[in-house]
Formats: sequence, C-alpha cells, structure tokens
Amino acid sequence: MRTVTRRELLSGAAKGGLALSAGGLIAACGGSSKTTSSHPLPSATKPRHGGTLTIGLTGGSSSDTLDPNSPVNNTDYARVANLYDALVWQDANARPYLRVAEEMTPNKDATTWTIRLRKGVLFHDGREATADDLIFSIKRVVNPKAPGEAANALHGIDTGGIRKLDRYTISVPFSHPYSTFFLSLANNITIYLVPVGFDPKRPIGTGPFKLVSFTPGQRSVFARWEHYWDQPLPYVDQLVMVDYSDESSQVNALLAGQVDCVNLLSQDVIGSVTSSGKKIVVSDGGGWNPFTMRVDQPPFDDVRVRQAFRLIVDRPKMMEIVFGGHGTIGNDIFAIWDSAYDHGIPQRQQDIEQAKHLLKAAGREGLTVQLVTADIAQGVVNMAQVFAQQAALAGVKVNLRKVTVTDFYGPNYLKWVFAQDYWYYQPYLPQVQQATLPTAPFNETHFDNPRYNALYQQALSTLDEAKRTEIAHEMQMIDYTEGGYIIPFFPPVIDGYGANVQGVVRSKVGSSFNDWDFRSMWLT
Amino acid sequence: MSVLTARMGAVRLRGFGRRHPLVRLVVMRACLGVVTLWLVSVVIFAATQALPGNAAYAVLGHTATPQRLQAVEAELHLNRPVVSQYESWIGGVLRGDFGSSLANGESVAALIGPRVVNSAVLVVVSGVIGTLIAGALGVLAAARRDSWFDHVASVVALGVTALPEFVVAIALVILFSVLVLHALPAVSAIPPGSEPWQNLKELVLPVATLAIVIAPYIFRMARGAMVEAMESDYVEMARLKGLTRRRVLLLHAFPNAIPPVVQVVGLNLLYLAGGIVVVEYVFNYPGVGAALVDAVSNRDIPVIQFVVLVLTAFYVFVNIITDVVALLASPRRRTAG
Repeated sequence: MRTVTRRELLSGAAKGGLALSAGGLIAACGGSSKTTSSHPLPSATKPRHGGTLTIGLTGGSSSDTLDPNSPVNNTDYARVANLYDALVWQDANARPYLRVAEEMTPNKDATTWTIRLRKGVLFHDGREATADDLIFSIKRVVNPKAPGEAANALHGIDTGGIRKLDRYTISVPFSHPYSTFFLSLANNITIYLVPVGFDPKRPIGTGPFKLVSFTPGQRSVFARWEHYWDQPLPYVDQLVMVDYSDESSQVNALLAGQVDCVNLLSQDVIGSVTSSGKKIVVSDGGGWNPFTMRVDQPPFDDVRVRQAFRLIVDRPKMMEIVFGGHGTIGNDIFAIWDSAYDHGIPQRQQDIEQAKHLLKAAGREGLTVQLVTADIAQGVVNMAQVFAQQAALAGVKVNLRKVTVTDFYGPNYLKWVFAQDYWYYQPYLPQVQQATLPTAPFNETHFDNPRYNALYQQALSTLDEAKRTEIAHEMQMIDYTEGGYIIPFFPPVIDGYGANVQGVVRSKVGSSFNDWDFRSMWLT
Repeated sequence: MSVLTARMGAVRLRGFGRRHPLVRLVVMRACLGVVTLWLVSVVIFAATQALPGNAAYAVLGHTATPQRLQAVEAELHLNRPVVSQYESWIGGVLRGDFGSSLANGESVAALIGPRVVNSAVLVVVSGVIGTLIAGALGVLAAARRDSWFDHVASVVALGVTALPEFVVAIALVILFSVLVLHALPAVSAIPPGSEPWQNLKELVLPVATLAIVIAPYIFRMARGAMVEAMESDYVEMARLKGLTRRRVLLLHAFPNAIPPVVQVVGLNLLYLAGGIVVVEYVFNYPGVGAALVDAVSNRDIPVIQFVVLVLTAFYVFVNIITDVVALLASPRRRTAG
C-alpha cells in the first residue's frame, strides 16, 4: 500500500522551502531526544469554546468499533478515549493519575482494592455514575464469554467477591496480592466507565464527547457533552474523526485545510507540512517497536546469539535513517518513562567485534536467519531493512520476509521465531505481565526465567514503592542480559495540525495527541 | 399445459427469436451472465477461505488471545464447515439478504450500497466526459490529419498513456489544491449519508483524473477509426458526388467509426471499475475499491462476495451493452447470421 514514489513526489515538489523551515522547526523542538519534559507548545490565546475539530486518522478499517472492551486500531482508541472516561489515565509525562476514580487504595497485603468514584459524574443520558455502574463495567471486561482487552489487567479478580461499600465506593478482591493494579490500568487498555445495561450499538459513556453518528471505516461525529464533570472541558463543540487509508491523502487534506489534525506521520512529510504553514509536533513517545527473538527456538535459544544480535545494532544510525534522528535511544528494556526504569544500566552500543566473537563461541558463524516484518506501525519495515544491512557486517545474513498486517497477526502471531511488533507505552511491571512472563498473553519471545518470575511475584506483594523499584531494577538487569527483545529506540510520535489548533502538547505516552486528548484542545 | 400448447409456445418463442436477433442475444448473454456470477461467487469464496487467518484474527488484530479468538469466531459462526457457510450465504442472497459484515456487524447492503453508488457515479461521469472529449478530439484530429494539431494531440496522448494513475492524480492535486492554486479540495471524503451529486466540488479532481487516464485510448481509437472510414470507398463516392466536407464527416464517416470506438469505451469502463481503487486512495473517496481492499484485509466474506458480485454484474452488463450498441450502429452485422 505505501509506495515511496508517491511521498517523494509530493515532498519533492515542496523541497524548495523545506530545508530552512524544517531545520528551524526541528531546532525549535529542541532536538527531541534530549528533551525530557513536555511543555505545551506556545499558544497565542486563552482557551475559548466553540468550533468543529476535524481529525484525519490512518489505521482505521471497516472493523472500527466504539466498544471500550475491544479497541484495536488507532481510530478505535481515539474514539474510545473521547466517548468514555477511564478510572486511571496518564498525563503528558506518562505519570498515572486518577481520572474518573477519586481514590484507589489497596489493603495491607494488596489483595483487596477499594475504588471510589468521583461524585457528580454524569453519563450522556444525564444519569449519575455510581458504584453499580462501576461494578457493571468491571464485570463486562472480565466476562468469560466475551472478555475485553483489559481482562488481563484484572487477572485474579474475584468478581463474586466485589462489595458495594456505599453509593460511590466498591471493594475489589483478588486471589493474589496485586500491588501494581493501579499501575496496570495506566494506559489505554483499561477499565472505561460504562452504565449498567450498556449497549455497544447505542453507546453512552461519561466522556467529554457524546456520539452523534458512526460509520465504520469512514467517519464518526461527536458533540460536546455540556455536563462533562471536568469543566470547562471540552472546548470544541464538535469532533469529527475521518478515516484515511493513506498518508498522502491525509497530508493533502491537512494542507488543503480540510482537516485540522492528522496522526502518526512519517518523518518524510515534516518538510512539506511545515513549509505550507501547518505545524508538526514531535513527541518522545514511550511506545516501542522491538525485534522479537524466541528464546526457546534455535538459534536464539543460546543467550550468546541473542546478545550478539543486540550488539549488531547501531542504534543512533538506525534512528537517524528511519526517523531522521527523532526518538529516544533504547537499551533493550521497555517502559523508559517509568520512574522504576533503571537509567543506570550502561547504554549498549554497536560492537561488531564482540558480536562476531559471541557468535563464534556459540558455533553460529555465518548465521542465516529470516526476519518477519509487516507494515504494522510507522517505520517498522524500514527498521528491518536497516537491521539486515547492519547484520551483514557481523557475517549474519538476514532474509526479510514481508507479510501483510493481517497475516502477521494471523495464526502465526506470537509464534514467529524472529520478527517485530509494536507496543503502546505501559509502566514496567504491567508491561512485564503482558509480555515477558510464561503466563503473559503476548509472550512473543517465549521468555521463562525462573528468577525473573519469582521477582515478579515478589513485586506484586510489595506495596512500598522504593522496594518495588529495587526489584524492578533487578528484573531489568535480567531483561538486559538475557531477554529476547532488541529495542534499538523508542520511536517518535509525529502529528500534524493546523495553525488554528491550540492546546497541542508534546507527550511521552506514545500515542498521538497525548492519548487523543482532544478535550483539552481549542480553535482560534 | 398440454404437450401441444407447449410445443406451440416453443415454436413461437423460436420464431420471435429469429425475428428479433438482438433480443435473443441480450437474453442469452444475460443467462450466461447469471451463470458467470454464480461461478465467480464460488471461486472467490474458496479463495478467501484459502487465505491464512479469518475475520476473527482480523477484527482482534494484535490484541488477539486464544480465548478472545474463540469467542469472536463463535459469534461470527466461523467455526461451521465451509460448505454450510457458503450455502447459508447464497440462500440469503437469493432472498435478497446479503448478510452482515463480519468486521462490524452492519448490514452489507446498507454499508456498501452507498459506496457502490459513489463509485458508479465516478465511473459513469468520468466515462462520459472522457469519451465525449477524447472522441471529439479524435474526430478532429482525423479530420485535420497530419496537421500540427494532429501531431501534437497524438504525442500528448501517447505521453499520457505512459503516466500511472496516481501520478496524474497527485499532479492535479498539486496544481489545483495544494501548491499552485487552492481552488479545489485535495481530498473527496464525502460524508456518509451525503450523495456524490451533492458534493460536486469534491468530484472534480477524481473525475478529471479518471477522464485523463482513459482519454488517450479513446482518442487514438476514434482517430484511427475515423481515418479508416474516411479512406473507404463510400466516403470517396460521397465526396466525388460533391457533398460538403462536414456532411461527409458527420453523416457518412462517423457512424461507421462508432463500433470500434464503442468497444474501446466499453473496455475502458471495465478498466475504470477496477482501476478506480487508486483514485479512491489518493482522494480518500468512499468508493467500492477501497471497501474491497479493506474487506480482503479483514477476511470479511459477506462484503467481499457482495462487491465481487456487483463488479461482475457490471462487467457482464457493459459487455452486453457494448455489443448491442455496436450491432445497432452497423446495420450490416445485424442481418448477418
């Protein structure tokens, strides 16, 4: 579907003014890899109400949905984030905070959590949200006949033991200590508040926008919810999300003023966007696109081969080629913005000699491997191509096998020996629970390290944050030395918007527009 | 019905057929068309089953876990045997029910019907405009054979044939929307519920693209057919008789140039039906090409079958029409055989 020729044609025609303006803008962005804070970009005005914000989104398809149990593609997350409120959310610095929940406290051994809702939160039909709705929302997620995406974050829940303590408060017991329950809800795969008797065909939530119309694969329209609990938000009167199949038409629409915001651009179009008077925001997202090696299959069952492969990558070079230098260098450990991330672990560099030495010691000189890749996210296929080139230096022959996205996530998903993937940002321990435990639903590397598993169990019972961070550091050292992931860098999130859009911030959460935070944006 | 009346009915039918060969042709072709439709539906159904994965994988994407896959497969009835799935689909079709999309549960006819209309409008309007303009230019070029106009037009036609569709599309966008002028919208995202003819400005660039893409073929065929007609004996006779140049051109040469031109126009309409997908991507036009690509990606069988049936029916229809028009335009062929 993507052809370099088309993008080149469009950006080539605008290359006249691009060099100066692009350079100027990137300099103004502060060289994104060095910036660690996220300040709102300069906006000339105070927030004002009114107007229609039109967003052009890629990633949609006829499988678009409004069901908060199963958002799959970017447009789904965008819709769900604005139609519903979650209990916990992340701010632009990727710090979790309570959104529609007012309090979440564990008991002494972290086996029971007490959750209290804010008062005065109204659904789009005017009803107030109460504990009954919260219980219904939770049960809907873990319904065994149709489990939602967040069912994993609720593993071990004892739904029969949920108690309603008062009009707004419930207590939720688990069959095991779960100190990280709050953290595991801090991403967009989470518990969204829905009313008792929720019908996905006529969805209502407590979010800042209510549904006006929805055509899967094409367009959805939302109107401002006047009685939204977090006044004065939202600012705009109407939100229109339009599906685009292709970046070229998305960018054209932005340049012609037919949309106000576009998501997930490649670095190639930064120039044509800025030279036409539109704006770009480059965020240091915490989302990650790893190379995945199955530690239970040859040749990667030998840890020396895994270590060698990690040493093959010239990380700054790859980031330069694929994302024009935007992004954050990675060290093969995920959750870079978590306060529990160990920034003290020495940064891995390319070391071809050591890589060759390790491969020789493992008896794998002149290794040939197949790398399965697909257009699953911006830049993924490019990364694979660069890796293949860099691997040749160490005598490793990498055969690229590009499949369609549907094939990639088909029956072979999680079984590929050497492939890639993309993840949104989550804090460290919840991410471990999703990816690197033998019980993890998406354990693509088939990692199963006994010490690591034991440490995780220990962390789950540790409520003290400092002690938990120590445990996390020890686990990260195991990821660093023995893991099956190669994480060369954390890709940037590049979004485009018109000059009349205000309230856009740079964000670490790894999805566009600070996790689709259209409630905080306004138009001049 | 007694054997005698049945026999008489058959004789009357055959006599009718002999006296109205055109109607017989249309009826026979239509029957063959229905058989084609059925065969195509079987082949496409089998092909989609042969692809790895199914709609459950597509709907769940990277969030698929074994439990959720099972739940979705059960919900979509994908765990039934293939033959029974096909049978229930075709049973529905014969009752006029094209089923629900596996990707989002909406009625296929309600979801894809408007997109078929959108694409049809694009194809028909581009076809008509392209044919009229290219045809007129072709006739003009033939009338002024070997003039500078003829040479320039022929070279330009050749050049345009070499350009891929998306290059033409993007060139038009750059010229009229984004860089040089800002007169026309760069994308044609017609809102659902709105008809194409209510959004004429959005249609200009996509129609222009498609018309430009098919114009060279019609131009060259029109020119070639006209030249051949003008070199024929009867035209020479008409000229020697002293008829005006215009009369000779329009009333004697032109009608005989129609059959080959009609064939080419038909071929180009068929090409448009398939080639429209590129234009839909570049202009984000909500048409049937993009819907089909998306449906294949999602292994959305009811949608795939519906779109394929519509396209096949269109092919059959265009084939019949072009043959009929060509026959009507050449009285000689009507009475032969």
